[in-house]
Amino acid sequence: MEMMALIAVAVFLFTYALIIDERIHRSVAAMLGAAIVVFIGVVPWEALLRHVDFGTIFLLLGMMIIVNTARGSGLFEYIAIRTAKLAKGSPIRVLILFAIVTAIVSAFLDNVTTVLLLTPMLLYVARVMNLNPIPFLVTEIFASNIGGAATLIGDPPNIMIASSAGLTFNEFIIHLAPIMVIDMVILLLMMYAIYGRSMKVNAEERQEMVRTLNNLDERAAITDRSLFNKSVAVIALVVSLFFIHDRIGEILNFVLPFVDPAMGLEPAEVALIGAAILLFWSRQSPEEIFEKIEWPALFFFGGLFIIVGALVETGIISSIAAVMIENVGSTGEAMFIVTWFAAIASAIVDNIPLTAAMIPLIHDLGATMDVYPLWWALSLGACLGGNGTAIGASANVVVIGIAEREGIDITFVDFLKVGMLVLFVTVAVGFGMLWLKFAM
Amino acid sequence: MGYSSSLIQRKFKDIAGRRYDSILKDYREFMLADEEMFIPEIRSILVPLDLFVQDITDEALDVLSAYDATISLAYITDTEVIKLLEQALDSESTKEFQAKKEEYGQKLLKRIAAKLEERGFSTQTRMFVGHKGDDVVRMAKSHDMIALCRRYADGESTDVSVSPVVLRICQRVEIPALIY
Repeated sequence: MEMMALIAVAVFLFTYALIIDERIHRSVAAMLGAAIVVFIGVVPWEALLRHVDFGTIFLLLGMMIIVNTARGSGLFEYIAIRTAKLAKGSPIRVLILFAIVTAIVSAFLDNVTTVLLLTPMLLYVARVMNLNPIPFLVTEIFASNIGGAATLIGDPPNIMIASSAGLTFNEFIIHLAPIMVIDMVILLLMMYAIYGRSMKVNAEERQEMVRTLNNLDERAAITDRSLFNKSVAVIALVVSLFFIHDRIGEILNFVLPFVDPAMGLEPAEVALIGAAILLFWSRQSPEEIFEKIEWPALFFFGGLFIIVGALVETGIISSIAAVMIENVGSTGEAMFIVTWFAAIASAIVDNIPLTAAMIPLIHDLGATMDVYPLWWALSLGACLGGNGTAIGASANVVVIGIAEREGIDITFVDFLKVGMLVLFVTVAVGFGMLWLKFAM
Repeated sequence: MGYSSSLIQRKFKDIAGRRYDSILKDYREFMLADEEMFIPEIRSILVPLDLFVQDITDEALDVLSAYDATISLAYITDTEVIKLLEQALDSESTKEFQAKKEEYGQKLLKRIAAKLEERGFSTQTRMFVGHKGDDVVRMAKSHDMIALCRRYADGESTDVSVSPVVLRICQRVEIPALIY
C-alpha cells in the first residue's frame, strides 16, 4: 500500500476512534483529521470541494434556521403540552402518544432537536404519574430513530444518502416510510410487552395526573403568537415543497410559463428558501438566529467528508468495493451485507461517520451492479442501527444524557439489552420488506 | 462515574451543547417544581395582627378557605414601644395607653374572628406584648401556614410596598406564607 493510502487509513481510523471516545469534541476531531490529509496533499483543494457534500450541509443549515426561528415561538412546548394532555392520565397512552409524536416530528425535523424539546415534558409527566421514566425515555429514543428514518430530512444519514445519490423526498416516502410505520407498530407492541406491567396506576393517581396536567396551559407556552403562526405556515410550506421538489418546474410552469418545466429543486434549496422566507416574514434578528445554528455539527460533517474523501482519493474505497464485487453474487446478497453491516457498525461508531464512509463505497459498487436498492439498505441499516447502543445515534446520547442529569440512570448494558432486540427486529422486518421489493 | 457514563456525558455536551439548558429554562415557565407538586397539609394558619392591620381582605380569605384549617389570630403590641412610653411618660399614662391598646386589640380580634367564623373558619385568638418579628417566627413553628398583611409592623403608609418586618418573617419561616 502506498504511503499516502496508509496515511489516509491511519487518519480515518484515528479520527473515528476520537469520535467514538469523544474526549476531543467530534467536530475538532473531524477538522483535525481533515487538516492532516489536506496538509500532506492527500486531498488537494479541487478534490476537497468535490468531496464536501454541500447538499447535506446546506440542507442541515436551512433546517437549523427554520427550527431555531420556530423554537422562539413556543411551538414545540405547545406540541409537548398538548400531547401530555391528550394522554388523559393513562401511562400507556402517554407512551404511545409521545412515541408517535416523536416519530412524526423526527420525520420532519432533526432527531436531536426533537428529543431535546420533548424529553423534559416526558420526564415531567412521568414524575407527575410517579412512574419509572425509563420505559418512556427508551421508547422515545427508538421512536425518534425510526421516525427519522422515514423521510429524506428526518435523519442525517438519509440527508447524506439522498444528497449523494440524488434521491428525492418522495422516493423515501415510497420505499422507507411504509417500513417505518410497520416498525413503529412493532416497537409499540414490544414496549408494551416489556414495560406494560410496570405502568399501572390507580384511578386516584390518574385523576391527580389529569388535574396536574390540566393546570399546564399550552396557550401560555406560545410566547409569540404571530411567530407561532408564521412558523407553522413556513414549516407546512417547506414540507409541501419537499414533496414536489423534483418536479417544481412542472407545477410552476402552469402559473409562470417562462419557468422550465424540467426544473427541480434540491432538498437543500427548499430548506434554504424556507429559511429565507421565515426570516423575512418573521422579522427575527438574523444575528440571534444564526448564533443558534449548530456550527460544530456542520464542521463535523465537513471534516468527515474530507477524511472519507482521502480514502477515495487514495483508492482505498475502490479496493474495498472490488473485494465486495468479487465476493457478492447478487443485489440481494449485497443488500443483506450493506444492511446488516451498516446496522451493527452504526451501533458502535455512530451512524453519521458510518454513513459518510459507506456512501463512496456504494458509489463504487455501481460500476458492476444496480446500487439503487443498496441506498435503501444503507439508510435502513444506518438509521435503525442507531437503536442498538446508547451511543449509536445522537438522539440516544441526548435522551440518556438528559436522564442522567435528572438522576435517572439508564446504564449502557440495560440499554443494550433492549436496543439490540429492537435493532434486530426492526432491521429484520425492514430488510424483509426491501428484499421483497428489490431482490425477489 | 464509570466509563460509559462519562462517555455519554461527553457526547451529550458535544451534541446538545447549551441548547438543553435554554430549553429547560423555557419549560420552567410552565412546569411545577418538585416542591410545588407536593401539596402541604394545612391544619393551622397563623395570622398576626397589630395596630396597622385593619382587616383581612376577601381575596386572602378566599385563599385561606381552600384549607380546612383553624386560624390563630395573634394581636401583638411591641415591647419596645411600651418600654419607650414607660421611660417618657408616667406610669399612669402608660397604663392608660396599654389599656386603650388592649381595648383596640380586643375589638379588632373580635371583629376579625366574627368575620372568619361567618365564613366557616374555626378561630383562636390571643393578645400579648412582644416582638413583632421574632415572636411571629417562633409561633410559626407550631403552625402550618402564615398569612401576613403587607402593612403589618409598618405604619400608616398608603403605598403598596411590603413592610420590611413582613419580608424578614417570610425569609425566616419554614412554612408557606401568604402576603395580602
